[in-house]
Amino acid sequence: MSVLEQTAVELRRAAGEARARWSTPAWLALAALGIAAAIPFLSLPGVRVDALADTAYLALAATALGLIVGPAGLPSLGTGAFMAIGAFTSALLVARSGWALEPAVLAGTAAALVAGLLCGAVVRLRREFVAVSTWLLAWLVWLFLLAFPSISGGSQGLILPPRSLLGLDATPTVHFEVALALTALTALAVSAVRRGAPGLELSALRQAPALATSLGVRLWWRRLGAFSATAAVAGLAGGLSVQLQAVADPVSYDPFLSFKLLVAVLLGGAAATLGPAVGVIVLGLIGLAAGPLARALQLPFERFDTAVAALLLVFVLAFGGQGVLPWALRRLPRQSHPRRRPATPPSGAPGPNEPVLSATGLRKAYGGVIAVDDFSLELRRGETAALIGPNGSGKTTALRLIAGAEPADAGVVVVGGVEVTVAPTAERVRLGIARTLQASTAFRELTALDDVLVGRAVRRRYGGLVRSALATPNARREQAASETAALEALAIVGLAGAADVPTPELTTSQQRLVALAAALATEPQVLLVDELAAGAGREELGLVADALERIRERGVAVLVVEHNLRLVRRVADRVLVLGAGTVLAEGSAAEVASSGVVRQAYLGTARL
Amino acid sequence: MTIALQVVISGLAAGGVYGLFAAGYSLIYRLTGIIHFAFGDLVGLGIFATLLVLAGTSPVSQSGAHEPRFLLAILVGLAVCVLAGAGTYVGLVQPYVSRGSTIGWVAGTAAVAFAIRAVIGATFQRSSYVFPDPLPFHRVGTAGYIHLGGAQVQARAFFVAGLAIALALGSAWFLERTRYGRALRAVADDREGARVVGVPVELLVTLAFALVGAIAMLAAVAAAPGEAVNANTGTLLGLKGLVAALAVRFGPPLWAFAAGLVLGVVEAAIANVHIGGWQLGPSYREVLPLAFVLLLISLWPSPEALEERE
Repeated sequence: MSVLEQTAVELRRAAGEARARWSTPAWLALAALGIAAAIPFLSLPGVRVDALADTAYLALAATALGLIVGPAGLPSLGTGAFMAIGAFTSALLVARSGWALEPAVLAGTAAALVAGLLCGAVVRLRREFVAVSTWLLAWLVWLFLLAFPSISGGSQGLILPPRSLLGLDATPTVHFEVALALTALTALAVSAVRRGAPGLELSALRQAPALATSLGVRLWWRRLGAFSATAAVAGLAGGLSVQLQAVADPVSYDPFLSFKLLVAVLLGGAAATLGPAVGVIVLGLIGLAAGPLARALQLPFERFDTAVAALLLVFVLAFGGQGVLPWALRRLPRQSHPRRRPATPPSGAPGPNEPVLSATGLRKAYGGVIAVDDFSLELRRGETAALIGPNGSGKTTALRLIAGAEPADAGVVVVGGVEVTVAPTAERVRLGIARTLQASTAFRELTALDDVLVGRAVRRRYGGLVRSALATPNARREQAASETAALEALAIVGLAGAADVPTPELTTSQQRLVALAAALATEPQVLLVDELAAGAGREELGLVADALERIRERGVAVLVVEHNLRLVRRVADRVLVLGAGTVLAEGSAAEVASSGVVRQAYLGTARL
Repeated sequence: MTIALQVVISGLAAGGVYGLFAAGYSLIYRLTGIIHFAFGDLVGLGIFATLLVLAGTSPVSQSGAHEPRFLLAILVGLAVCVLAGAGTYVGLVQPYVSRGSTIGWVAGTAAVAFAIRAVIGATFQRSSYVFPDPLPFHRVGTAGYIHLGGAQVQARAFFVAGLAIALALGSAWFLERTRYGRALRAVADDREGARVVGVPVELLVTLAFALVGAIAMLAAVAAAPGEAVNANTGTLLGLKGLVAALAVRFGPPLWAFAAGLVLGVVEAAIANVHIGGWQLGPSYREVLPLAFVLLLISLWPSPEALEERE
């Protein structure tokens, strides 16, 4: 097949997918874009095209900011700083070095991207520290511009000579259309990212960082990517808008700009891709209304408009509002999702009887308390072992050491012949160790299927930010394949029918099974299951046992930590008894039950 | 030598004010788990509310301190700060904290900061105002200045430093030793847990925010008479305090105060010290410490920085 034919096939497929997902909001967005594009040509009275273009550039930056405020939940107060970096880089190149506009703007974008990558280290901190750091960044850039007039042009700013834009005279109309097109493209990219792997994983990280990390999602990598992408787009907006204004004035880039962008995102609604752009429009309208009002009241309110907007924001948010656009979208008739075909659980053939996990001499102490001491374990394909022991005997710690949630003081972990003793969690998940967590069960804002899809993080090759944003054929194919795999995992735990059910609507026991499916979706060789049946009734216990048995049939080695001895007796080929961090006894359930040591240490007088 | 001493002493004097603000920020964080972006502007609000009662929007001279209305003005300033502090919590922080939305309270407190600055800027339009000193420091030494080994230092700088240390020590005592302090720490650590064991969470945190307002007024009275003030005074001092507090990761208020002192000395050194013919100069004064603290926080390697434990 020639490249041309291949491209045609891909385009047809893309068109088909777009048709399948096309909805009323998409029509509305397209109509809004068309109307907006026509505005400069209507010569409406009182409409200043340069102000419109300026607003459109703000909308561009805000649309990108929506990605880190919405799915990632990071409160960035520094977007204006990246706009300033883009603006002054391109302004200096044009004014001092005589560059053409386009390469100068690209250089500004690159400078903002680099700044974003440099500052991006803060995104792994707690959210309040992200807010402070980005806020200080906004001040830093502004104070820098004020302190060095030789760079920023001082109080007059840098005067920019006129340049052509894309071969056209750079009139406000051209700027407006360019800004509109870029905003639309950014919105498309953000929307693709939100639907794809990065958006899902960012959202999972926001809702339950520990759970997402245990499934192999790399917090640092994902957040850094989104943060620096936002910085780059802000730099692009800054670089272009400064050419529109024809002067680079430091005063326009004070920390207030960053705050205004955040207000726009929250006001318009971070939950919708176009929410931030709507927020910018709302701010603009408030500004139009507030100007005459301030004059009528004879208030010399500098920034009266945004003070009003901030108050409005406070009310919107205080009453539980998600912003203007999500509110409006809820008013539209809901469209029914296409029904998914429930998958049948595939039957896996049990493989050869080879060890897939071996842990030797693991030790962990917290200060003077030794939680795990000389813990060794070997697991074979298709084998289910149970780890039992009284509370505080080190069961969960042992699992955490094997999964890499914390470093062991001593000992070696080998999975599939590869030593992973010092490897980070994500790497271990990729090599085949998955773990379900004891407490956190599921991501509260996702459907069961999306929840399980988070577990596909380490199996994706085309799930990066750029590929997802461009929705490349590989990325889309992989997304479809991931969904199939996630549906299979759901089918294995017996929840195939619940794929589209929001997680909070499931029972606790079902949520645990969803978590199990998510761990299974990582395609593990070894599955570590931490108290899956805690508090489960007899019927639910049966479902859990069935799921574990189906997983074993697929050749996965399973290690369950369990207090429920009925479940242990049913699923475990082998039982290890842990007491004070060491293995006291090992054997079949019956052997262990008859061991006196065990009865004394753990069971007391009860019978297994 | 004299220059070095002058730098250290003037740096410590300025740093005392930064330290006071930094101690305020870290105290708020420890009391409530909130970083109060409007704290600096609350101080500005205290300053100008006092001036408004004292003399309307017209300028005040140092002799304003002798007017009988001055005490009333300060009390009104205190009341405004306390109300603004509590109001910030009830209206702008509580709704988000209860929903676990960090972005909400970040935007809410930042909105308060900008709103206060806009109102002050619109009401008091001169470029600078004098805040009369309620305590007669101008009678100490030579017109309020003390000679210290060849260097000159404002007598009230000692008062500011003493106040900051008292605040830091007092808050440590409050948090460690009193019932309310322990309850507040419990709230900051685990809100739901504290509620379950019967801590009146909302009432306590509202009171803590009112206390924050009172601290802001204290900072206003301590810091404002030192130099001329305008609408940006509170914001800028608040920024320095935030930098110092972040440098110690909003740790104990005493550390934050120490970080403030260091920041003051570093700024003075950057502005004045030259080694041979090489000098950084005043342009770098504001920028370098800020960049350094940002770098410090970026390289913060501890796993506790991560958001959530299992």
